[in-house]
Amino acid sequence: MGNKSGNATALTVLSPIVNGIVDGQSFADITRERCLRIPIHEKSPLAKVPNTYLARLFILDNVFYESLPGSDSVFNFSEITSILSDSARKKALPRKDQLKSKYLVFSSNFHGDLDEYLTGMWEKWSFDDHGQQRDVRYIWEHCVSFEGVKDCAGFISYIKRCQLEATLFFNGSTDDSLQEQLKALYLKQEFSKFAAEHQGKSAADLQRAFKTFIERVQPENLSQPSWNPGQSTL
Amino acid sequence: MSNIAGKAYAMNVITPMRWYKVWLNRLIFWAAQKVPNVLNGLLTLSLIHYARWVIIPRDKFPRLDPSQPKEDLEYSYMMFFSNFNGSWAQYVDSFTFAIPSGLDLFWKMNVRYPKSVPLTPFHDYIQHNQIDTSHYYNAYPMAASNDVKSAKTVKKALIDFNAASSNKTPEEFLEDYNKLLNQLQHDFGEMRPTPIVSLAAQAVKERYMESHAGTR
Repeated sequence: MGNKSGNATALTVLSPIVNGIVDGQSFADITRERCLRIPIHEKSPLAKVPNTYLARLFILDNVFYESLPGSDSVFNFSEITSILSDSARKKALPRKDQLKSKYLVFSSNFHGDLDEYLTGMWEKWSFDDHGQQRDVRYIWEHCVSFEGVKDCAGFISYIKRCQLEATLFFNGSTDDSLQEQLKALYLKQEFSKFAAEHQGKSAADLQRAFKTFIERVQPENLSQPSWNPGQSTL
Repeated sequence: MSNIAGKAYAMNVITPMRWYKVWLNRLIFWAAQKVPNVLNGLLTLSLIHYARWVIIPRDKFPRLDPSQPKEDLEYSYMMFFSNFNGSWAQYVDSFTFAIPSGLDLFWKMNVRYPKSVPLTPFHDYIQHNQIDTSHYYNAYPMAASNDVKSAKTVKKALIDFNAASSNKTPEEFLEDYNKLLNQLQHDFGEMRPTPIVSLAAQAVKERYMESHAGTR
């Protein structure tokens, strides 16, 4: 159990949003709109947060009522007893739950330690919103008690109060650092091209070309040349 | 909504379970990690980057201040987050066909879970309980999970080959090079943005352009 799978970490955050309306719009809707307007791929603020593999934001408005047919031992039993009376029949209906707060959900899969990652979120998260720079506080602004967050330590402590433990975290990929993953992808791309382009070359020509190739791609230099985080085009 | 980022799809599902079954469901997840067959089944679904299940007992939704109303829930909840490649239907169906029993084990305690077989009720169940993502970020939009894994193999093989063979005679170099290519046959492949990547990105871009700088 837990949030770790090797060096990969799962972060699940549910931050309650203040119940309230300003100028006809709820704080939850304002937060949702802000999330929807975050630019994507290499322009996403998460591309700047070190070691983020995949992450998402959404609003949990409410839970769902289970109105569909389904197999369920408790209800199956009720259905047998329901032959006897209408009230027993009605008891076969699931209960209806309503959340009293809406929640900003942040889920991230990243490499490394949580405190370091949250420090990266506080320090590096920024994006251009039609000419205005927005930091991480812009997204969490309307969450309960977030007005008390004044610095990085406060942010880390706030997120930890909203954090939920993963019951099972499955890593179907690797747990290497993002820099390592991106360098490997770059090399796969470049070496695939090299192999295709150099078919049928003489041994001496191939060896020469390979040396030039290695000098260009620098396989052990993780910082460059490589793909950039969130890079969506070649 | 932006459920798609490059080749990855973000799935969020929240389903209720009876509060008194939480311990049992946790025990199932714990046991699943001890029995190799269950997680090995998930590994065969090589289209998954990362996935997780989070059980929230009904009194454990974060409450940060007395001013925040206390939740009063009949059920506890299980959240499922997945990052996978391909379409929604491909993913849901692959679960059904690859690990139906494991899937049923994880969701068994959930209210009105219809089981993973037959397909249509299972599709309905997931659709009914799914929440769209507002912002989805993927560090490598052009790569599938299999690309990330095979890239790791390629990188190591390339570095090892360069160290061992680059300074041999041309003939020996060629022999080793051909062996390397044979060894990496399953790991090669160029990556490119696919049409779905461009369409999803276009939709987000248009929405961004339509919104106003002055919006709250």
